[in-house]
Amino acid sequence: MRINSKFIKASCAAIALTMASGAQAKLNIFACEPEYAALAKELAPDAKIYSATTAMQDPHQVQARPSLIAKMRQADLAVCAGADLEVGWLPMLQMKSANANVRSTEKGLFFAAEHVQTLDKLDSVDRSMGDVHAQGNPHLHFDPERLLLVAKALSSKLVQLDPDSKAEYDAALADFSTRWQAATTQWLALAAPLNGKKVIAYHTSFRYLFNWLGIEQVGDLEPKPGLPPSTSHLADLQSRAKQGDVMAIIVASYQDERGANWLGERTQLPVQVLPMSVGGNDDSQDLFSLYQSVITLLLNLNK
Amino acid sequence: MQTFNFRVSAVAMACAFVSTVTLAQDATLTNPAISGVLDGYYQNTERPMAEREEGFGLGHTELALSANIDDMFYGKLTAVVETHGSDTEVGLEEAFIQTLAMPAGFSIRAGRFLSDVGYLNNQHVHTDAFSDRPAAYRAFLGSHYFDDGVRLDYVAPTDLYWAMGVEAFKGDSMRAEDEHGERDFKDLGVYTAYSKLGGDIGNSSSWMLGLSYLRNENGRLTAHEEHEDEVVAEDGHEHDHSHAAMYTGENTYIADFVYKWAPNGNYKYQHLTLSGEYFMVTDFAPLEEHDHGLDEAHGGEHTPDDQTGWYVSSVYQFTPNWSAGLRYGQVDTQELHDDHFHGQKLKETEVSLAWHHSHFSTVRLQYTNQQGTNFDGIEDDNVITLQYVMTLGAHGAHQF
Repeated sequence: MRINSKFIKASCAAIALTMASGAQAKLNIFACEPEYAALAKELAPDAKIYSATTAMQDPHQVQARPSLIAKMRQADLAVCAGADLEVGWLPMLQMKSANANVRSTEKGLFFAAEHVQTLDKLDSVDRSMGDVHAQGNPHLHFDPERLLLVAKALSSKLVQLDPDSKAEYDAALADFSTRWQAATTQWLALAAPLNGKKVIAYHTSFRYLFNWLGIEQVGDLEPKPGLPPSTSHLADLQSRAKQGDVMAIIVASYQDERGANWLGERTQLPVQVLPMSVGGNDDSQDLFSLYQSVITLLLNLNK
Repeated sequence: MQTFNFRVSAVAMACAFVSTVTLAQDATLTNPAISGVLDGYYQNTERPMAEREEGFGLGHTELALSANIDDMFYGKLTAVVETHGSDTEVGLEEAFIQTLAMPAGFSIRAGRFLSDVGYLNNQHVHTDAFSDRPAAYRAFLGSHYFDDGVRLDYVAPTDLYWAMGVEAFKGDSMRAEDEHGERDFKDLGVYTAYSKLGGDIGNSSSWMLGLSYLRNENGRLTAHEEHEDEVVAEDGHEHDHSHAAMYTGENTYIADFVYKWAPNGNYKYQHLTLSGEYFMVTDFAPLEEHDHGLDEAHGGEHTPDDQTGWYVSSVYQFTPNWSAGLRYGQVDTQELHDDHFHGQKLKETEVSLAWHHSHFSTVRLQYTNQQGTNFDGIEDDNVITLQYVMTLGAHGAHQF
């Protein structure tokens, strides 16, 4: 009897301990894209973080597959780009995962685009314009200032969901902000030679990067957003490239290189694949090395 | 007449929604998503149990509205317009609410909706890679089984996807044939239970397996009465375009699998889908107390086999603009002739080639070779279908 009651006490204590440490902030975070998984890692290093996509996958065309439903079912927080980037799959995941925590931005749902001004917002949208986003370009993680605003908002969201760990989140945000601002200054100085350069790119994936660094995208391999490059459209770009002012053809890590290579061969322009996100090439292990890698690759083209 | 009025008002309501949203010009995730699907085709001949007729025709033309009603409920309404000969029918395929905020992975759906049994059944037909559902679906589920009822679904909190659910339906479209209209059917006709498992294999592959059981209280046939042969002949000739299942039984078991592959999990440029389902329908013969003619005439030695059906399908999207599909399926059913059963068989081999100008437009050319015994007298036939399916309006998020 004695042994029994001791055993029961001990196991109660053990359960209480696990409960307590469990309650102590191990948030389960579902990131729609790897850049937001990386941002979450900076701001909540102890959290359990899962990225639904990789830098090799087009975030417009993700399947609402069973593994994603299972991960979202367990999430306390879902962090996504928003501006309708995930409109083809996120609502299905929310429906299927039956997790009320990640349904509304009042609770555990976070859209980065809601916390910054997006570029290229449209007053009216028609499908004949292609697969465009009325709420502006959602690929905003390549603007360091916007990303810092997103980081601040995301940190507040973490505090809202897990107020007990406010001190840790505040410290992580302060640390990230300091390092990020210092890096931003360095990157701007480093990338100064790119200012005013012209490129042809695929989709508007790097719209914010080009905007930040003063690069001008003079041609898009896609005739319209969401449509693959057509031969006649590529021929138009070929004649545009003949003006001789284009630095390179830029493709993101998840995009098909064939159209770019076709154009590259005919125009003698270099084709450069840039990592769309963390994990898009070997050098891009976190947000800092992602930016560093992208700028280095662009600078190498300019040599 | 009553139903007609209701249908018209549903469309009017839908139109009202459309105009409001056009004015608002602010399509967000939370505003009503409105989508229309246009489906038109030319087909050189007909297929057994299929909805599409010979010649030019319109297929599943649908108008759908969906939105979160509030923080607790989601709702969807799908109206389908179909033409059969000179008749135009407007029907409601979906009109359901679903809970959004139940705890612990539970959710409830109520109203009219597509049952979650099998793999294809909960998918809208316009997302299919072929112009018609496999023969097994046409035979046992009336192409796609939707009905008025309620569902309780549960998703387990595991890294391996594991969902299970139960449904109860009115079951009108799953009633066994009742040529005299005298049978006393149960109002709560169909119950189902299903479970699905799924996951990823590396970055490039995903899979899902499902097992379903469908109990049909009204699935048993009625015994023929010997003196009313003329009614049988007349009835058998009528072209039935309802969504009713042609072959029923008390118990239906379905096993399904799907495997999808895309390089690095990037579905944009190329991907492959392999899927298949197996159906077994049992207990369809009239119960013994009703069938004086059946057992005695044949000395009780003849018990029909179970009805079965299956298909395997492979669809490869090899560029963003082109996809090709190959499907083989067959169905073995039993038809009651007066006092004994005749086995029937239909085998279909199908090849389809589709051109997608964008995500929202598809033009498809499909060839079907059907080999049948007894099915509407089909012995050997080649079916060619040229079809377009185009979506306008909101992005439709489609299931895996």
